[in-house]
Amino acid sequence: MNPALSVIFFTVVSGTGFGLISLATLLDSLSRGRMLSTTELLVASVAGIILATAGLLASTLHLANPKNAWRAFFRFRTSWLSREAVFSVLFYPVATFYVAGLWLYGDHRGMLVGAIGVATAALALTTVFCTAMIYASLRTIPQWNSPLVPVNYLLLSLSGGSIALLVVDTSVGADMEQMLIALSLALIAAGAGSKLVYFSWIGKPRGPSINTAIGLTKGRARLLESAQSSSNFTTREFDYRAPLPLLWSLRLVVYALGFVVPALLLVWMWQSETAVTASAALIAALAGLGVERWLFFAEARHTVNLFYGRQRC
Amino acid sequence: MVWDALWRDIFSNDAVDGPAKSADQASTGSKLPRFENHAAQEKKYSTCYMCACRCGIEVTLEHGRIRFIRGNPNHPVNRGVLCAKGNAGIMKQLSPAKLRNPLMRRPGTERGAGEFVEISWDEALDMLAERLGEIRATDPKKLAFFTGRDQMQALTGLWAQQFGTINWAAHGGFCSVNMAAAGLYTTGHSFWEFGDPDWERTKYFMLWGVAEDHSSNPIKLGIDRIKRRGGKFVAINPVRTGYQGVADEWVPIRPGTDAMLALSMCHVLLAHDQVDWEFLGRYTNAPFLVVQEPGSNDDGLILRDGEGRPQVWDATEHHLADGLRPGVTPALFGEFTAPDGRRVKTAAQMMVERYLSDEYAPEQAADVCGLPAETIERLALEMAHVAFQESIEIECEWTDWAGRTHDRFVGRPVSMHAMRGISAHSNGFQACRAIHLLQMLLGTIDCPGGHRPKAPYPKHTPPPAKPAKHTAPNTPLSGPPLGFPTSPDDLVIDGEGRPLRIDKAFSWEAPISAHGLMHMVIGNAVKADPYPIDMLILFMANMAWNSSMNTRSTQKLLREKNEAGEYKLPFLVVVDAFHSETVNFADLVLPDTTYLERHDVISMLDRPISEADGPADAIRAPVIQPDRNVRPWQEVMIELAGRLSLPEFTDERGEPKYTGYLDFITRWEKAPGIGFLMGWRGKNGDKPLRGEPNPEQWERYIEHQGFYQYHLPERMRFFRHANRDYLEWAKEVGFNGSSEPIIMELYSEPLQRFRLAALGQTDGPQPRTDAERERLKRYFDPLPFHYAPLEEQHIDRDEFPLHAITQRPMHMYHSWDSQNAWLRQHTAQNYLFMNRRRGQALGISDGGWAWLESHHGRIRVQVKLMEGCQENTVWTWNAIGKQKGAWGLNPDAPEATRGFLMNHLISELLPGQGAARVSNSDPITGQAAWYDLRVRIFPAETGEEPTTWPAFDSVSPLPGQPQPPKQLRYQSHEPVRLTRKFIDVLMRKE
Amino acid sequence: MKLGLVIDMDTCVGCQACAVACKQWNTSGTLGPLTDYDPYGAEPDGVSFNHIRSYEVGEYPNSETVNMPMSCMHCETAECVTVCPTGASYKRESDGIVLVDQDKCMGCNLCAWACPYGARELDEASGTMKKCTLCVDRIYDDELPEQERQPACVLTCPTNARHFGDLDDPESHVSRLVRERGGQQSLPELGYNPVNRYLPPRPKTTASQAKAPKAGLQERLRGWLGKAVTR
Repeated sequence: MNPALSVIFFTVVSGTGFGLISLATLLDSLSRGRMLSTTELLVASVAGIILATAGLLASTLHLANPKNAWRAFFRFRTSWLSREAVFSVLFYPVATFYVAGLWLYGDHRGMLVGAIGVATAALALTTVFCTAMIYASLRTIPQWNSPLVPVNYLLLSLSGGSIALLVVDTSVGADMEQMLIALSLALIAAGAGSKLVYFSWIGKPRGPSINTAIGLTKGRARLLESAQSSSNFTTREFDYRAPLPLLWSLRLVVYALGFVVPALLLVWMWQSETAVTASAALIAALAGLGVERWLFFAEARHTVNLFYGRQRC
Repeated sequence: MVWDALWRDIFSNDAVDGPAKSADQASTGSKLPRFENHAAQEKKYSTCYMCACRCGIEVTLEHGRIRFIRGNPNHPVNRGVLCAKGNAGIMKQLSPAKLRNPLMRRPGTERGAGEFVEISWDEALDMLAERLGEIRATDPKKLAFFTGRDQMQALTGLWAQQFGTINWAAHGGFCSVNMAAAGLYTTGHSFWEFGDPDWERTKYFMLWGVAEDHSSNPIKLGIDRIKRRGGKFVAINPVRTGYQGVADEWVPIRPGTDAMLALSMCHVLLAHDQVDWEFLGRYTNAPFLVVQEPGSNDDGLILRDGEGRPQVWDATEHHLADGLRPGVTPALFGEFTAPDGRRVKTAAQMMVERYLSDEYAPEQAADVCGLPAETIERLALEMAHVAFQESIEIECEWTDWAGRTHDRFVGRPVSMHAMRGISAHSNGFQACRAIHLLQMLLGTIDCPGGHRPKAPYPKHTPPPAKPAKHTAPNTPLSGPPLGFPTSPDDLVIDGEGRPLRIDKAFSWEAPISAHGLMHMVIGNAVKADPYPIDMLILFMANMAWNSSMNTRSTQKLLREKNEAGEYKLPFLVVVDAFHSETVNFADLVLPDTTYLERHDVISMLDRPISEADGPADAIRAPVIQPDRNVRPWQEVMIELAGRLSLPEFTDERGEPKYTGYLDFITRWEKAPGIGFLMGWRGKNGDKPLRGEPNPEQWERYIEHQGFYQYHLPERMRFFRHANRDYLEWAKEVGFNGSSEPIIMELYSEPLQRFRLAALGQTDGPQPRTDAERERLKRYFDPLPFHYAPLEEQHIDRDEFPLHAITQRPMHMYHSWDSQNAWLRQHTAQNYLFMNRRRGQALGISDGGWAWLESHHGRIRVQVKLMEGCQENTVWTWNAIGKQKGAWGLNPDAPEATRGFLMNHLISELLPGQGAARVSNSDPITGQAAWYDLRVRIFPAETGEEPTTWPAFDSVSPLPGQPQPPKQLRYQSHEPVRLTRKFIDVLMRKE
Repeated sequence: MKLGLVIDMDTCVGCQACAVACKQWNTSGTLGPLTDYDPYGAEPDGVSFNHIRSYEVGEYPNSETVNMPMSCMHCETAECVTVCPTGASYKRESDGIVLVDQDKCMGCNLCAWACPYGARELDEASGTMKKCTLCVDRIYDDELPEQERQPACVLTCPTNARHFGDLDDPESHVSRLVRERGGQQSLPELGYNPVNRYLPPRPKTTASQAKAPKAGLQERLRGWLGKAVTR
């Protein structure tokens, strides 16, 4: 798959934004207001909304005919993209109410605001889930067609969000919650683990083969002629062939930047709780997440590639 | 905006709700909008010209634009189908390479620099007529007029004949004269477009050396029919693409060895006695007696009586007899002594002695052809089974040449078709004769299920026309410039044996060059060998690029000057519709119309569209009017003919006889009642094939969708070489000059006559040099034989171990379609294909670049490895590579930056020294031996540019040439959209 | 009705006639114009609904060359319809044709991601997805003679390799072809249930050989002595 930068930016940034606001509101509800100050919550929520919005806007850049974008809500019945659109839009009024509630009631916010917060988190995470399901529901891309994908998206959204929350906490909060670091490390570990499972699962392509694609199974099949002088929409969109050594080294980068470096930085934060360290961890995590998403696309083998000569998808 | 859209949605026009209430509703789509406004559309019929297949097309027009071109379902050639090229006519019409105005090379600029000024037609024609007048009044053969991809040789040939120059031919010499000549000297018709396999009835079809051919849609229609019937289709070709892909058996033969394969199969048939002796005895010269007196002037000639009648040995009476006498029973075999003491042998005996020898055994052929001996044997025996155990019969009374009636046609349903893979070799003539021999042994010629001629064929072997020799000022030639020599007396040479034609056709270098040698013209003219000329007119021929061997040298020759600083080729006129590489070299450019803008005839006098069951001809009539200052070349020729007062075009008062092309076609007659078009002749249009001119003939054709078809009565459809009704009718309607039966020349006496001249055993003209003598002695064998292609005999085979050939793709025709936006989306670059294992062994990767070298030159190419390629062969698609800037393409087009021409590796002369170098052609017909090329290949160095080499200078745009657009959005009407009801969007579950 | 195409891989010679006929018809048809990019330049490309690719199976000298024309399969379980958020992509209930409503498409490409066969292309000039319509603008046109109410690709095919009809009707020409020749789906394991079917290459026709004894030159000549034929 051609890794479209706008789509990568969208899932990374809005995933983190949604994760940030979800974690913030959920932690707040679970700890009954004790873990995070109102300011932290406000900053986290607003930052989360901004990040989510930035990502969502970026995703519309991907549209070739945006004047019809308003129609995207109507096939909620069947389309995960439609569902993502609906939930992402529903997120706004609820999140706005939450922020309003925080702003108006502050430390005296009651159960209603808390409930709205949980609803916000639910909508945010559902949106992330829908995004992931857009990919996971596609049987045309065997590397995506698995529950591992939404699990991954959610975990990485939450782990990224948790590091972002640490940035908020260290920048704005009075005290830093050690619990947050622990939670963040746990989420990073979970994310890393799930990613490891994913990488090994997509290991050797074992989806459809060129033989079932062209219906001839008696021998090795090879493309002789595509009858195209240059690339076309299909090959530009789907036939992305990065060299294997590059893909392998990028996997290492994902681990290094996305998990190891942030984890190390977070462990260090136990001793010195600075916003700088948290920010560095966030930058590394986002960079790593960006590479992870890039790989997610680059390692995906759309079955149309079989017709262009790929042996296996 | 949203509200508009919703409003539209609610009242949208697609019937999507629920399953169809009835089949009627679903099929009539009562709720669908009217997508096409047929009332605003008009249909016109014409003939496609994207290649030489001549399919009938139906063009739908609206608002002055072309809506759709499709095959005419009523047309006999294509019956409604149409290939990719035909379907792309719109883009040919929109090509930015279209010429727009007559052009003259800007005075003071160099030829080939591409600097032109626009001039008017009057200026152009005045200039041309004046110069032509001078040439005609002094030495007419100083005009060389050669035509390329045209289909109007009858008119251009007539024009040349009337002008009085012998220096005319079409492009057959570098195309497929081997095919045409071998057939015409052997069976009376040939492969190519003079005949067709009997697609309806054949049970075994063998295809030799064909990638795509003029007869392209009929072959495709035919192959489907054969497969549906369960017939077997065998494809002989070093490459497995196209037709070969759907064949039941692919025979990966080494290029240039087809004669060996064919003759080895003959060996098998003879060894197993699977031969149609009746066919040979009745219809060929197999029983004729051949003189066996080495050293004498009639050695190897057919024994004849005082009246010239061929003699046979009467098997019942045991003496000589007239071989043409009806009812004679000649012995097929034996050696006898004539009354005058000369020893004679039947041709059949000579044939058997040669082919049943070990030389042609499958084991020998296996080595030469690169095929298993078992395959060769099996193919022959399969054909024999079909021919003799699966024969078919059509019950029909027919009368043979001697007046005897028969009650059925017996068919041996094995058919063949062959084309360039056989022809484009220096052994192609003999190879094609070898295939015809195979057909004769199997008795599969013009029988049900076999290979059948198409009118005006079959003709006598060969047709009686002889090429004209003598030119004189202001005098037409005594006959057509081309013909069929049967002895050295027919050669077009002077008293010293020197060639009289600029292309040296019909000289000792290429005696039976029935289609001329267009590929030698430029070189010979510039070298003044045999003499210099003044003007060369090229019509629709890309000689400065893909139609010449040795392209760079040809371009250099066009620019060569003498010491006085004048061009050695003084004046070059190029007539074309598009900006080809050759247009760039012209001194005068005359722009032609496209095929959709012109009148044309596809005539019986020329290259008609006949079917095996009867003659047919067709026209082109303009479908749209040209939007630029172009004129159809035929009109220009008629006008020039009038200005030059060429006799056929001038009346008694000295005035031009014809008002234009249409008038000329309607009223000109070759013989009483015989004109260019055969349909609706007679004053009232009621005399088919022969009759007085009908002033409304064009209108009749247009009314009838542009074609006329005549159906032969069944009794005249088969064995026409010996079918009295057919032979008499063919004479009546002017196809043949005589109604004598056509005798197939298994043994080719004309070849022997040339051989005797080389041996000095003749009173007539003899070759001048030892080299010429050797060639004739060796190659003019009256019985077909295999010899290694000439290039191979002059190079080190180990140094150049690979054969290099080209194939024509099905969606592009020579150089003509890179200008076509739709077609070039499929192929804008050609690759060098080679066998995967062979390539890998040489260190060449798939998609990698490599150097391809011949004895003559080197090119850099991008390689694709494939399985279906004979391991000693490399190949590419023909003519895809283009010169930068030509054909309306941007200079960075892949055709120019990565595409390549094999031509750069091919020399027009065989390797050798100095004056002894002869043309790289078949020694019998002069056919350009494109596929004889031998090469070696090795990978390019890493770090080399991934671009084609050699690169040529960029061709400049012509004055007034539009900038090619960056995007095209063609439509002939605003689309009528189909929209979905909004409520359906919301409600539907899936 | 389940309208669709049956493609005969036994006779398709890869001539591209159907690809260009499709282009020609549709550029002035209901989805027109079909944009051509860089038509005379370095990367000539254009919106195309029908692609014919060639494959080799096996190894020299026993390799086979097969051509596979591909256009929208009008799948029964058309995921391209499922994933479309705007409802632009839809499957007609009456005849099963899958269409793209040009007024609704927002060009998100998701349908192309969902199509295993690469049937859909974005027309960059209009920003919408386009694909084979089974020539819906021809097949119901009752001003055309019945024989012409077929997709342009089917009408033009010179080797009779393309067939159009109702695969829901067991007695239709196409259903019979599928039955007789064992028509297959491409990538059946994905569960899209494509309606278009491919007829696999027929088993290669073998031929019987003449059974007659072999003999050498001298023996044959001896045997043929006296052979005569009346002319």
